[in-house]
Amino acid sequence: MKPRWENLAFATAAVFVALAFTSLVLVTAGASPFEAYWYMLKGSLGSWSKISDVLVAWVPLLLATAGLLITFAAGLWNIGVEGQIVLGGIFTTWVLRLLQDSTLSPAFILILAIAAGALGGALWAALAGVLKVFGGVNEIFGGLGLDFVAVALTLWLIFGPWKRPGIGSMSGTEPFPKELWLPTIPGSRLSLWALFIGLVSIAIVYFLLSGTYFGLKLKAVGKNPRAAYLLGIPTTRYLMMAFVLSGLFAGLAGAVQVTAVYHRLIPAISSGYGWLGLMVSMLINFQPAWAAPVTFFFAALNIGSIQLPIVLKLDSSLSGVLQGALVLSFLLMGGVRQRWLKKHQQEASDD
Amino acid sequence: MKRIWWLLLTTLVLAAVVLSACSSGQATPAPQQESQQQTQQEQATQPPQEETFTFGMLLVGPYNDHGWSQAHYEAGQYVEQKLGAKMLYVDKVNPADRPGTTPEQLAEDLVSKGAKLIIFNSDDMKDAALAFAQAHPDIYVIHASGDNAWKDGKDYKDIPNFSNVMGKMIYGKMIAGCAAAMTTETGQIGYLGPLINDETRRLASSAYLGAKYCWQHYRQKDPADLKFKVTWIGFWFNIPGVTSDPTQVADDFFNSGYDVVLSGIDTTEALVEAKKFADQGKKVYAVPYDFKEACQEAPDVCLGVPYFNWGPLYMKLIQDAKDGKWQSTFIWAPPDWKDINNPDTSAIGFEMGPALSDEASDAVTNFIDELANGLNLWVGPLKLQDGTLYLKDGEAATDQQIWYLPQLLEGMEGQSVPQQ
Amino acid sequence: MEIELRHIHKYFGPVHANDDITLTIPSGSIQGLLGENGAGKSTLMKILSGYLRPDAGEIRINGSPIEMHSPADAIRFGIGMLHQDPMDFPPMRVLDNFMVGYPEGLLLPREEARQALLDLSAQFGFSLDPDAYVESLTVGERQQLEIVRLLWLGAQVLIFDEPTTGISAQQKEKLFAALHRLADEGKTIIFVTHKLEEVEILCDQVAVLRAGKLVGEAKPPYDLDALVEMMFGKVVTKGERVSAPLGKPVLQLKNLAVESHRIRIAGVNLEVREGEVIGLAGMEGSGQRQLLRACAGLIRPVEGEIWVDGHNLTGKPYHDFMRHGVAYVPAARLEEGLVPNLTLLEHMILADEQRGLIIDRQAALDLTKERIKTFNIRGRPHSTIESLSGGNQQRALLALLRPGLRLLLMEHPTRGLDMESAIWVWQTLKRRCREEKTAIFFMSSDLEEILHYSDRILVFFSGQVSEPIPATETDIEQLGQLIGGRGFNTPEEATP
Repeated sequence: MKPRWENLAFATAAVFVALAFTSLVLVTAGASPFEAYWYMLKGSLGSWSKISDVLVAWVPLLLATAGLLITFAAGLWNIGVEGQIVLGGIFTTWVLRLLQDSTLSPAFILILAIAAGALGGALWAALAGVLKVFGGVNEIFGGLGLDFVAVALTLWLIFGPWKRPGIGSMSGTEPFPKELWLPTIPGSRLSLWALFIGLVSIAIVYFLLSGTYFGLKLKAVGKNPRAAYLLGIPTTRYLMMAFVLSGLFAGLAGAVQVTAVYHRLIPAISSGYGWLGLMVSMLINFQPAWAAPVTFFFAALNIGSIQLPIVLKLDSSLSGVLQGALVLSFLLMGGVRQRWLKKHQQEASDD
Repeated sequence: MKRIWWLLLTTLVLAAVVLSACSSGQATPAPQQESQQQTQQEQATQPPQEETFTFGMLLVGPYNDHGWSQAHYEAGQYVEQKLGAKMLYVDKVNPADRPGTTPEQLAEDLVSKGAKLIIFNSDDMKDAALAFAQAHPDIYVIHASGDNAWKDGKDYKDIPNFSNVMGKMIYGKMIAGCAAAMTTETGQIGYLGPLINDETRRLASSAYLGAKYCWQHYRQKDPADLKFKVTWIGFWFNIPGVTSDPTQVADDFFNSGYDVVLSGIDTTEALVEAKKFADQGKKVYAVPYDFKEACQEAPDVCLGVPYFNWGPLYMKLIQDAKDGKWQSTFIWAPPDWKDINNPDTSAIGFEMGPALSDEASDAVTNFIDELANGLNLWVGPLKLQDGTLYLKDGEAATDQQIWYLPQLLEGMEGQSVPQQ
Repeated sequence: MEIELRHIHKYFGPVHANDDITLTIPSGSIQGLLGENGAGKSTLMKILSGYLRPDAGEIRINGSPIEMHSPADAIRFGIGMLHQDPMDFPPMRVLDNFMVGYPEGLLLPREEARQALLDLSAQFGFSLDPDAYVESLTVGERQQLEIVRLLWLGAQVLIFDEPTTGISAQQKEKLFAALHRLADEGKTIIFVTHKLEEVEILCDQVAVLRAGKLVGEAKPPYDLDALVEMMFGKVVTKGERVSAPLGKPVLQLKNLAVESHRIRIAGVNLEVREGEVIGLAGMEGSGQRQLLRACAGLIRPVEGEIWVDGHNLTGKPYHDFMRHGVAYVPAARLEEGLVPNLTLLEHMILADEQRGLIIDRQAALDLTKERIKTFNIRGRPHSTIESLSGGNQQRALLALLRPGLRLLLMEHPTRGLDMESAIWVWQTLKRRCREEKTAIFFMSSDLEEILHYSDRILVFFSGQVSEPIPATETDIEQLGQLIGGRGFNTPEEATP
């Protein structure tokens, strides 16, 4: 079998397994799987307005995933990505609040705010990096801790210093005036600017990882830090840079959430895109080329699944079941494939 | 190779079966059956020719939360039955449960499914409800608990397809206060408050007014001997690290001589803690909030519960919309004084709890009668907590004065305005 | 048991790994199987031990054909194989490992097994502690464990795949004694190797494989030159000892002391000059590695100074040493030297000087192709490094070294290579010494290699370092004694 066909065969098998599993769950829940899939499809791609909603959700997910691909390239599990998105949101909100009454032009304020979001994410990631590189704290634990701190910080801000006049509310801070929203296509919630940021970011990450010395060195550090060190790569610096860059894109995701989706800071500003991004990264086996289509698919599942409670009275967490099943079955197939390859390789390179 | 594949497939299928069997509890939502029954009922009761009116509802919490959202959901079902209308709903409409979605977007989804009217059931959806109403002038919008449609209110927005509804819970709270005052032996009543805003000040103060009245007139005691303390936790429910812990607050009340705690929050810590203390032999009680059947969690210590009944309010607005008689309106509906617990007419009610003594219960019934006959407790002389005059002697408060109550009242302990 | 392999064919894709091999192995003898890397030895043995199935041909035991589907089948027929890397289960105790594969029922007769393990060990002079953890054993001890395990399982035919790689000289002696004993008991031994001297002292007959074909058989006394010619299809010689002219000092060690958790070496004074090759001899773990690492800045010395080209680099990190033209080639290729999952091309890019931010793929590809040719690497630019065979990985490692190095520090430069490759490696290294004046500092467990290629030799014995010995003034025997601790001057070092 040629590798390409082989890959395709395994991927198809994985999708099939995931669909079979989800269908089984649906059947047990007393629903027709085909009906459910059909409504999800219609609910995500059935009209221009649905597609634009999917794109709205796609951008921050894509940004978070783009960031994660960098840390994964360096062999790091940046679990702190959620917190980095949150900090991006906080920094963006902070700049918008500071400047919303100023005489600066809205466009300028927005640029500053988004840049601040990127900075916020990068700083938060740098913190996880320092803990890992200099403190010896595993990035998974460090990141998890920082995630909690970030959420607590948001809640404190929303219920404390940044609360709406008179009330503290789960609905977040006072919405920003319309001039400080990223401009949208009339009649939709989609901002072409956000879309632009997302597409440029993933293109940058793709290029960074596939075409530059930086990306290659990062990969080397990720796959074998000792050998990378002996090859002359300053491993600690590269690990730190991976964190910072990853956080930068996560922070951008947070900035987009604030400026293009919610127009304020809300308690769940990350929308869980960090976790979802981790799943996507695993699903695409950390290949940047696949990030855009697969995150789009996941965003479509998120949006399409809203049909389930409305039409079929099913819990919409079923999209999560499908997403999870996909990741698991791809991982599973990856394992099967590896064993299979190993066997062949062993035979082939015998002696 | 084949063997591996078969092995794999079998394992997977087996795992899937086991898993789905385990998870079916979650994956099979209860309303599946309910809704089927309902559609059957609908088909049976409905005249086949008439076009069904479809309305949508966005619930901030789960449709079965035994609280705020369930009260709305049941009201929707009530309208479905009474009016032969069809309800579409999405529950858990909040960014934490539905990441990446906004209420506007979900409302649009409901509209695309045929909804002509959308109910936003939470204060948290205020911005979304307004934005949606402005963007869709052809769709009727009801926002529960807001004031933007109130011409005499502070935040009036002229949007013809937008209305507000709210029950006059101030009466429910007065009755709750009275039940507490009739029961307390120490003369100390605690109020477990959520966050501080106009609404919560208003409700806590109403409870105090009810308590003071019954204390003074039924128990013939000096109002100065009644202690009424409000402790705000900071939100409608416990958020660890952000709010005060309501369990702790309730414990503090019971430990420092407060023997009745009125709950102003969405969850039932006050009741649970009262039960715990009662089990240790202390005579303490609690009054929960929001949901008609809230007492069931700990009936032995429950003096009763003031609750919302949204059905009749929605019924009226949806009927108007259906008949083309819609007008933008602000409804702040009092209870039906003939029978405050009438599900078809009363916007709020008070369900007496098993722990309420016969004597107290008579007094509470009496108090309700007095209210029904025109007793107004929001009447002067009343001072605000800082001593400034709120109502002159004999002056009755206007709805605006009550709705936008700036401070707690004199005689109450606790914060009036949030710390900055 | 007499084993007959008849017309065995095995294909891997286009590769004809075993091409019509017919071989008879009489019982009670030690059969050598000789061939360079990739000749098809391991494939043939995996077929014989049930790991692989032949595409054509048959196996006969005592004249009757047998059919095997798995290693378990093989052991039922009495055939057991010891792999290059003993296949055991490290987190287990010796006794548990010993009992793995025991076929009957669920109840394991532990006491019986313990006794069998002790008896068998005693027979062969092995000292295996049944309660020790396998991970604490040396490679040689694991091998011993595997031998007794297979015997206990009833193996009549034992296949050894390059068993002398990575074990000490003493263990090798014991192993060979055990092999003779087994053969005397009537067991059939197959000994796979690429080392001529092992065939010479051990085997009753030898078969030579080249490129998948059986090219010849021989019996003692062996004509070594003829065997070499069979292995490689041509005559190969090590060549004359050559030394490059020595230039000015490159590396100076002044009263250097290095410590690691197990060993401390102190008081090393040495001057290495341009073009000079210094060999470090000694038992594994005697401190050679620590000294090499210290010279690259990978370990910080506790005392003394390291000067490279007149710069005091004591205490500086490895990357500073690199900037002064020092390179380090570790023995653990896939653990420390190369990056698994990256391709040959990517390795070349990483090792080459960085030009700008963006990689010029075409230039890199050209460079890689050129290096592949120069270094005779069997692999394509896009082959991942781990898909290359060990010898080719070693070649790749050498291909990564930049030109113009001042000092090259190497752990076991030819470990695991066949003779031809080893000779080739040293040719390229020596060329560096000659043409680029590079000094080489290397450790090896192969005394012949050290003697043949070094200008001077340092001998290590449990943390002590001899004075540099000019290679022309010593021989294998003297070095062997020094390694064993005899001949060191101070009295306290006599104990091992």
